[in-house]
Amino acid sequence: MRVGFLVIAAVLSVFGGRLLQLQGVDPGQYAAMAAAENTVEIVLPAERGDILDRRGEPLAASVEGLMVVGDPSETGAQAPEIATFLAQRLGVDYFETLSRLRKKDSKFQYLARRVPSTLATDVMAEAEAAGLEGLSTRRDPVRTYPADDVAANLIGFVGTDEALGGFERTFDTYLSGKDGTARYEADAGTRIPLGDNTTVEAVDGKDLRTTIDRELQWYTQGVVRQAVLEAGGESGLAAIMDTRTGEVLALADYPTYDANKPGDYPRRDRGARSLNDHYEPGSVEKVLTLSALVDAGKVTARTRLRVPGELERQDRTIHDYFEHGLLRMTLAGVMAKSSNIGTVLAADRFDPGQLRSYLTKFGLGTPTGVGIGAEAPGLLPSGPAWTSQTADRIAFGQSLSVNALQMTAAVNTIANGGRYVSPSLVSGSATMDDGTVVGTDTSRTRRVVSEDAATQTMRMMERVIDPEVGVAPGAAVPGYRVAGKTGTAQRASSACGCYDGTFTVSFGGFAPADDPRFTIYVAVQAPRNGGGGGSVAGPVFSKLMAYTLERYGVRPTGTRPSQLPTTW
Amino acid sequence: MNASRGPARVLRDRVPTFGPEFARVVQRTRLTVVPRRRIRAPRMPFVTLVSAVLLGGVVGLLMFNTQMQQASFAAKELEEQAHNLGAREQTLRNDLQELRNPQRIALAAVEQGLVIPGGSCTVDLAERRVSGSCVPATSDSTPPLEGPAPRKPPALSPPDRVVVAGGQAAPGRHGTTRPGRDVAGSGARTR
Repeated sequence: MRVGFLVIAAVLSVFGGRLLQLQGVDPGQYAAMAAAENTVEIVLPAERGDILDRRGEPLAASVEGLMVVGDPSETGAQAPEIATFLAQRLGVDYFETLSRLRKKDSKFQYLARRVPSTLATDVMAEAEAAGLEGLSTRRDPVRTYPADDVAANLIGFVGTDEALGGFERTFDTYLSGKDGTARYEADAGTRIPLGDNTTVEAVDGKDLRTTIDRELQWYTQGVVRQAVLEAGGESGLAAIMDTRTGEVLALADYPTYDANKPGDYPRRDRGARSLNDHYEPGSVEKVLTLSALVDAGKVTARTRLRVPGELERQDRTIHDYFEHGLLRMTLAGVMAKSSNIGTVLAADRFDPGQLRSYLTKFGLGTPTGVGIGAEAPGLLPSGPAWTSQTADRIAFGQSLSVNALQMTAAVNTIANGGRYVSPSLVSGSATMDDGTVVGTDTSRTRRVVSEDAATQTMRMMERVIDPEVGVAPGAAVPGYRVAGKTGTAQRASSACGCYDGTFTVSFGGFAPADDPRFTIYVAVQAPRNGGGGGSVAGPVFSKLMAYTLERYGVRPTGTRPSQLPTTW
Repeated sequence: MNASRGPARVLRDRVPTFGPEFARVVQRTRLTVVPRRRIRAPRMPFVTLVSAVLLGGVVGLLMFNTQMQQASFAAKELEEQAHNLGAREQTLRNDLQELRNPQRIALAAVEQGLVIPGGSCTVDLAERRVSGSCVPATSDSTPPLEGPAPRKPPALSPPDRVVVAGGQAAPGRHGTTRPGRDVAGSGARTR
């Protein structure tokens, strides 16, 4: 009897101990193991936000997609048939697919990536009907660029697994959102009703609305491409900015690339030269120098200057682009004829450090921070590097460098009545991956020169377009008053550390001159047709400005253009 | 003695046992012994009811569970259907956007002889005034719509792959392609 009780006690003790172990020591682990048997966890993918133009037209969009993968242990026997089928239906390389399908010691091989979901589903159904085994699909969203190369340099692109350039990269987190998860108990793949069910909803990425006008961007790219090809240039760019708000309506580069096929293009064509490259601006910079002189009270548009044919300075002789003897020019004439000598003579009136201070306020030497990575800040010499010889050359746009958007914003300061308005490529506000918030909401303005100085500069710039006295009649827009300035600058080569004999030709201006709405800046690098800023970039400016004014319904002001004297 | 007498007996002793008084009392209170009625509730309806409730509950629960399972299958199918339809909608939207590609529209427009205007003029009906350049549009402002082909990186120009009889592949050799067993009748592209 007692032995029986002992046996029962021992058995109950074992049970009790086991119970204590299961419930007391580590209940979570066993519960998890039990639950894991039938628990399914799936990722609820967040949808990547679109990149839109200013009117909401998509520049980049996401489409549900699938990848087709194969299990070589099952596909080996039918490899030729499967490879043929996929080559025909999905356009994959036959031989590459064949070798993947026959891969030894592998149970997973990518066969096609980023296939639109509808196509992949149809293909899988056909494969199943044809008896082809070993294929399966997994989620693989497709990023598409409906307008192909339009604004591709700004938008960037998404590679197989990561964003690789432009907005796609700098706003990757903003666009990506956050994946969610769903855990539920399932049996044979089907959710068990009333079973444990936990869902963390995905947070979709936000749309990034840019200030770009898709149609205007398309036209700008076409015109720039035409100009570069006709001039035999190396590259070209154009920027169109809303004078009052600083919104960039178009920022075109050529050569560019098709964002849907980035791999077909050289790497150097996939960036935004207009922001990533810096170069010496040449005579367009005279707009800044002369407006600063007027603002500082050193000169007026009618100031009379004696401009010799050559000007001996400390380390070199300064020439104008055209040969001449002594000329009696007004400051407006210096602008109209783009005289280097006249500009240097006028700039001699600056106090020490004054020109650099003005150029800094115009935004030179500082990145615009519009949201594109690796933006070139440009070079504005300072300290010991700012010598009197350097100052001479900087006064007419050499020995300093800018990126295209910096120069556009600087010229726009004159159009905007002397107030600098920082350029924006993002409408509203958006947060970059580095935490910087950019966009029109964060746009800032500052007074650089007085309204009177800006007006006088504008009137001098109008004389540049004048067919009688100016150097760029080709930049005129019929019916409108236009103010602008040409630039033809020597290009510095990093290879030789010298000027390589090629030029940057450019034109920056705005219209209507007396009530500016748009500022446009055009530059062509290394044209081989011998043209300068007036003959190569001027007509491009004219076409773009005419199209933009017509597109936005801007009426001519109907006033008479400036008749400032250019000589005396 | 009285202690052993019950109350009925005491009452009876007080009541006259004869005479008119007796008759009156008798007439007034005639107590009779009522036979005890024993009513037995029928058991069968109750058992039936309980059984029915239990059975109904179990069957109902089973049906409910079955219904939930069926709903789960239906929900899964509907989810898949919704997903497929959503994907199809996205694809169609994308197709629509590609049709709205400015390049495509421009090509169609130029094909019909349209050009991009080089300028504009404003007609002010109230003042009967025209400003701007009112001239017929020419093709000067319409840039060529197609650029040169991209300069492809060398990696995208691999040597042709030639398959000779016997299934051996020899990259970089040009010659008549004679598909081997893998390629025969496959329609696969050879470059």
